[in-house]
Amino acid sequence: MTALLRTRAARDVGVVLVAVFGVGSLAMALAHVSPLVGFGSLFDGAFGTPEEVAETLVQTTNLLFPALGIAIAFRAGLFNIGAEGQLMLGGFAAGWLGAQFPLPAYLAIPMVLIGGAIAGGAWGAIPGFLRAKLGANEVISTLMLNFVATLLTTYLVTGPLAQTGGGSQETGTLPKAAQIPDMMVDSRLTYAFVLALVLAAVLWWVLKRTVFGYELRAAGEAPEAARRAGIDLARTAFVAMTLSGAIAGIGGATIVAGVLHRFNTGLSPGYGFIAIAVALVGNLDPLWIVLASLGFGMLQSGGVAMQAEAGVPREVVSLVTGLVIVALAGRRAIANRRTT
Amino acid sequence: MNGTALAIAALVMLTLVKATPLIYAALGGVLSERSGIVNIGLEGIMIAGAFASVVVSGATGNPVLGALAGVAAGALLAAVLAFVATRLAVDQIVAGTGLNIAALAGAGFGLVVVYGQPGASREVPALGATGSNVLIVLAFVAAAALQLALARTPWGLHVRACGEDPSAAESAGIDALRTRFWAVVAGGAIASLGGVYLSLAELDLYSDGMTAGRGFIALAAVIFGRWTPLGATGAALFFGFFAALQFTLQRAGVPSELLQALPYLAALVALAGFAGRVRAPAADGVPYVRS
Amino acid sequence: MRRAFGPVLAVDGVDLELLPGEIHALVGENGAGKSTLAAIAYGAIAPDEGSIAASGSVGLVHQHFKLIERLRVWENVLLNREPRRGWSIDVAAARERVRGLAARYGLEVDPDARVETLPIGIKQRVELLRELDREPTVLLLDEPTAALAPSEIASFFATVTDLAKRGTAILVVTHKLAEVIAYSQRVTVMRHGRVVARSLTAETDAGAIARAMVGGELPALASRLETQPRALLEVRGLSARSGTSVLRDATFDVRAGEIVGVAGIEGNGQTALADALAAIVPFSGELRFDGALLRADDTPADRLARGIRVIPQDRRHEALVLDWTVRDNVALGRQRTLPLAKFGEAAREVIERFDVRPPNADAIAGMLSGGNQQKIVVGRMLADAPRLVVAYQPTRGIDIGAAALVQSRLIEARNAGAGVLLISFELDEIFACADRVLVIANGRFAGAFARAEIDRGRIGALMAGHTA
Repeated sequence: MTALLRTRAARDVGVVLVAVFGVGSLAMALAHVSPLVGFGSLFDGAFGTPEEVAETLVQTTNLLFPALGIAIAFRAGLFNIGAEGQLMLGGFAAGWLGAQFPLPAYLAIPMVLIGGAIAGGAWGAIPGFLRAKLGANEVISTLMLNFVATLLTTYLVTGPLAQTGGGSQETGTLPKAAQIPDMMVDSRLTYAFVLALVLAAVLWWVLKRTVFGYELRAAGEAPEAARRAGIDLARTAFVAMTLSGAIAGIGGATIVAGVLHRFNTGLSPGYGFIAIAVALVGNLDPLWIVLASLGFGMLQSGGVAMQAEAGVPREVVSLVTGLVIVALAGRRAIANRRTT
Repeated sequence: MNGTALAIAALVMLTLVKATPLIYAALGGVLSERSGIVNIGLEGIMIAGAFASVVVSGATGNPVLGALAGVAAGALLAAVLAFVATRLAVDQIVAGTGLNIAALAGAGFGLVVVYGQPGASREVPALGATGSNVLIVLAFVAAAALQLALARTPWGLHVRACGEDPSAAESAGIDALRTRFWAVVAGGAIASLGGVYLSLAELDLYSDGMTAGRGFIALAAVIFGRWTPLGATGAALFFGFFAALQFTLQRAGVPSELLQALPYLAALVALAGFAGRVRAPAADGVPYVRS
Repeated sequence: MRRAFGPVLAVDGVDLELLPGEIHALVGENGAGKSTLAAIAYGAIAPDEGSIAASGSVGLVHQHFKLIERLRVWENVLLNREPRRGWSIDVAAARERVRGLAARYGLEVDPDARVETLPIGIKQRVELLRELDREPTVLLLDEPTAALAPSEIASFFATVTDLAKRGTAILVVTHKLAEVIAYSQRVTVMRHGRVVARSLTAETDAGAIARAMVGGELPALASRLETQPRALLEVRGLSARSGTSVLRDATFDVRAGEIVGVAGIEGNGQTALADALAAIVPFSGELRFDGALLRADDTPADRLARGIRVIPQDRRHEALVLDWTVRDNVALGRQRTLPLAKFGEAAREVIERFDVRPPNADAIAGMLSGGNQQKIVVGRMLADAPRLVVAYQPTRGIDIGAAALVQSRLIEARNAGAGVLLISFELDEIFACADRVLVIANGRFAGAFARAEIDRGRIGALMAGHTA
């Protein structure tokens, strides 16, 4: 037992728990709320009723897609901090396409999902290309594109591609056929959750059992050795960033097609950033990321209840999330590939 | 004075106003990276500077005290990054990202706790036009001072040695971990002045998201400026110019979102153009672990 | 003195005494613990047990220089001891001090030059000056002549002998027995962390020292069989650049069924040669393999596909994914041609043929000793009957047993019809394995010798850049 406790994983779990409960309690105290009440309403809000469990799973799904995308990029040695923007572009594409082209469900749903993947993928391909061809630092380029994504989608949705009038920052409403079917009535939970789980399994298999996954991991962990083993580093970087963006884009598409049924610029409360924490807690492994998404999903949905019922500002959840990222920054050493 | 000269003068002034926070942040970034630590957390440090200075200025009625509090807050946040980067040898980019998320959320939380409302604080005593001018001039003075310090003083040489090869520096008797730690903290103190400027000089309050990615643009300025204080200042002026252009071009009917995107696009283009042609300090971003 | 690194006891109960005015040689094969002992003596590493006493300060010239490439010579020499004027550094005084030091010891350098622009021999002078500025009473030199030409070695030891005459106690850590015999007064031999022999140099000889180092007779290499060499690689006017390594106008052949050795001092263009053949860098000139022209814009994958294997000189950064298992590392380079299901079998074959220890395909490569890591790399490179093997420092930093095994497998590959280009900084290795010896100096090929014509003196002179 003591040997188990001394493992790195156990230490990390301990640190996460300290961050969540320790800092959380401190923040709650500052807000004049007893930690017992605060955490109580958090957990109750996450799992109290079947509807609340469903909402937790919705948040889990919304985090799982970008976290998987981020993990793919990180495993390839690329710091994709732009999942938020990629997600937004994907959501916009899904919203606009779905409202613009009414089709029967068996065409509409693939259209919005693939549209989301392509848009998100393109948004990931830009920093991917800059990195592959020019060696440009993808941290800064993905960050810049986050800001540009918000501005671009706002511009499109109120200007040239507007589907609703009066300067509203929303696309048109998606017809029922384009909406992902609900998994549970009276909730926002859809089969997108199942899609996310399937995607996690597929990515796990790709990373572990395909040549593509082998080469991606080699490029991320030992780039010089990978180069000499015949692996094309530039191409791998480009493909990994594009794939990463595409997965985040699908995530945005499922938020629009499943939960909101339209795109608006406020569709993400920072999922793309929280997903970084999710990916790290999951040690960049798709299967563990599923569990990590559940944990953070719980914090997200419980946090809403916590604010409503106990009066603890929701920002506590993001604060704790940020500290978890700092605490786990030593977890999986991402091969250092400074170019600029 | 005729109309064009007036317009140009206004543009120059606006450029300086927009560039000053970037200059402070970029100087902080340069100092940190020359010692070997990549500080992605500049955005969070600016947020800390902006928020803490407003709270203290509001509480004491003294904006100068507020500014000092902002500097302290930025230095404190930088110390967290410096600690985990040097003693725990974690991935600096990931840690910096976490710090940014925590700082933004912390400030948001603080807004509710201190002011009872999310989104923005109340108006507080600010530094005014004089204060703003002082900070603008101070930014350039700081740039020159840092340039000289890095190039000519023993401390500067030690910092540069740690950023190129900490192992070699240690074999000469320099404590690389401690040198890096204090470089990051000092850099954080300087960078936080950028946040202070935003909240107490350009405005008189703190609002959620007011830094709007300036901490990241500053990182592009560091690269564009080839990791030198004067170079980074020049780059910051360049990006600040694009921010200032927004107002001029607005009247020409260019969509406002495109204008707002200008600084970010400028940083992106600069990065794309300069990548691969500049050399970072050799040990930049590489955690140093004593064997 | 006792010091362990995890489960490995690097230094096990060692006593060592250095006398002023004496050059004391510390010899042993790779992994014997000599560098660790030197680091302890310098104070860079703390011992687990034991004590050190020195009558003054101790200086250490490291095997891999601790110089900061982008800084200037004076900045490196006087780092942390800079002459000051008020707040700033007194640069003029610093330059003067370095010039004074250089003159005093006969080690000419330009104080303002950036270290990254200097050739290796001059860099070593800077490293030496840095230690000498502290006027040490004890000077430790760790493999000081690894990067020097034979004539530079003589002048280096002249400086060292002069230092000894001035009263400094000198320790030279080395594996070059010829230098031990020529220049030292006392010799201590280490093996597996222990002292196994001590002697006055005058009372022993290279053979006895070598036997003490190895603990018996040197392992025999595979025997060289009769082969029918055929044209394989034709190099005409090859020029290439890789980082600071420059190759100019190289013209030579490697035939199937022979080992061509490229003898040269580190830093004379070998990396450019290896990288051009591996398609890591482009080249100009003509490269013909099996009659077909190789293209300057080939990728490493193209070369691999033709059956060209380049064993890189830095296994930790250029050949292995240290966090992966042996099994996954054996597949590296063949991941597109070897089916996933066969990874285990391939790993077992390499482990067996190359005596990898521990013989566990699931062991993490980073945990293995240097010798075993190298065996994995060489093993996987030779596994699928390559046509051309470029072996760049294939036995760098590994123990004698592993080195002999690697060299034997290269000879066996040659016997089976592969062409082998052996690029090595160790003349003994080249003489033991090669059918023909080429000499590289200053980026150019300077001489060719058939096995029967090998002449150490002439080869040494060519390596130093003296034309025949």
